[in-house]
Amino acid sequence: MALLLSRDFVRGFRTVIPLWLGFVPFSLAYAMTARGAGLGVLETQLLSALVFAGGAQFSAVGLFAVGASGVEIVLTTLLLNVRHLLYGLSLSQRLLLTGPEKWVAAHLLTDEAYGVVLAEPHPSFAYLMGAGLSVFVPWNLFTLVGALLGQGVPDPAGLGVDFVFPLAFLALLAPMLRGGVEVGVAMLSGSIAVGGSQVLPGGVALLLAGVVGSFVGACCTAERPERSNPTEPEAS
Amino acid sequence: MNAWPIILGMAVVTYVPRVAGLWLRARVPPFWQRFLRFVPIAVFAALAIPALPGGRGEAEVRILAGVLASAVSWRFRKLWLGIAVGMVAYWGLR
Repeated sequence: MALLLSRDFVRGFRTVIPLWLGFVPFSLAYAMTARGAGLGVLETQLLSALVFAGGAQFSAVGLFAVGASGVEIVLTTLLLNVRHLLYGLSLSQRLLLTGPEKWVAAHLLTDEAYGVVLAEPHPSFAYLMGAGLSVFVPWNLFTLVGALLGQGVPDPAGLGVDFVFPLAFLALLAPMLRGGVEVGVAMLSGSIAVGGSQVLPGGVALLLAGVVGSFVGACCTAERPERSNPTEPEAS
Repeated sequence: MNAWPIILGMAVVTYVPRVAGLWLRARVPPFWQRFLRFVPIAVFAALAIPALPGGRGEAEVRILAGVLASAVSWRFRKLWLGIAVGMVAYWGLR
């Protein structure tokens, strides 16, 4: 309780509030798409509470919709979320956490929380928790709203709700296209996904496109040893 | 399909890298750092591009709205603005 009242906690929580505009529509769109793909309200909510990773949740819903296997969905999730390893590695250099604090903080480590904590000159565990919960609480609240709304929409496809899915990913992708290699990787992976889905199950085609694209990107940037920059705001 | 085992599997493969990063005091080799940096680009493109035309003969409108949304999102770096502009364009043009 003392933690929730501490100045650092409140500061961390407040810093993330402007970002709500970014991810609240995203969580609504996710939940409505999930309901459209046939997931129940409880399942839609559990994904937000237990997985708590927007891109992976959205991908999983898309894969559910095309009837991908569980293995494909879990592997895609792993591929999308393994970047969180970098966030942890980088935070542990800057912020000393006790054992129990690490187990709790890990669940709240999102792009937004990481970015905000990294930008803070003197981060603390309380600050990290404030930033983390400032994502977790609205994310889960609006998942519930979207899941309940999604149930009430008679024909989501008629309204074009299925268009939100590619649209959200394009809008996430565009700000990351900062150079020729980035554009090339996006085009390569997009082509592999289009071509691969003709002959392979959707989930396998996606994994293949993800791994090949990332590998080619890493090979093509070998010349300039650029520091990885995971602070780019993914959903803001 | 029962979604519960899949949801639990997704939770495990998301939580493990998060917690491992905080516990490990290792450094990721530069090549794999770059690989990880490209993962969202590759995966988001692979998700968006095949789904963009849709299956109801609205391909041209959807692609146009998608390009517009990408441009707005690229210029202003606001996800919500990109989605909003894309949906408004899509509803207006269809």
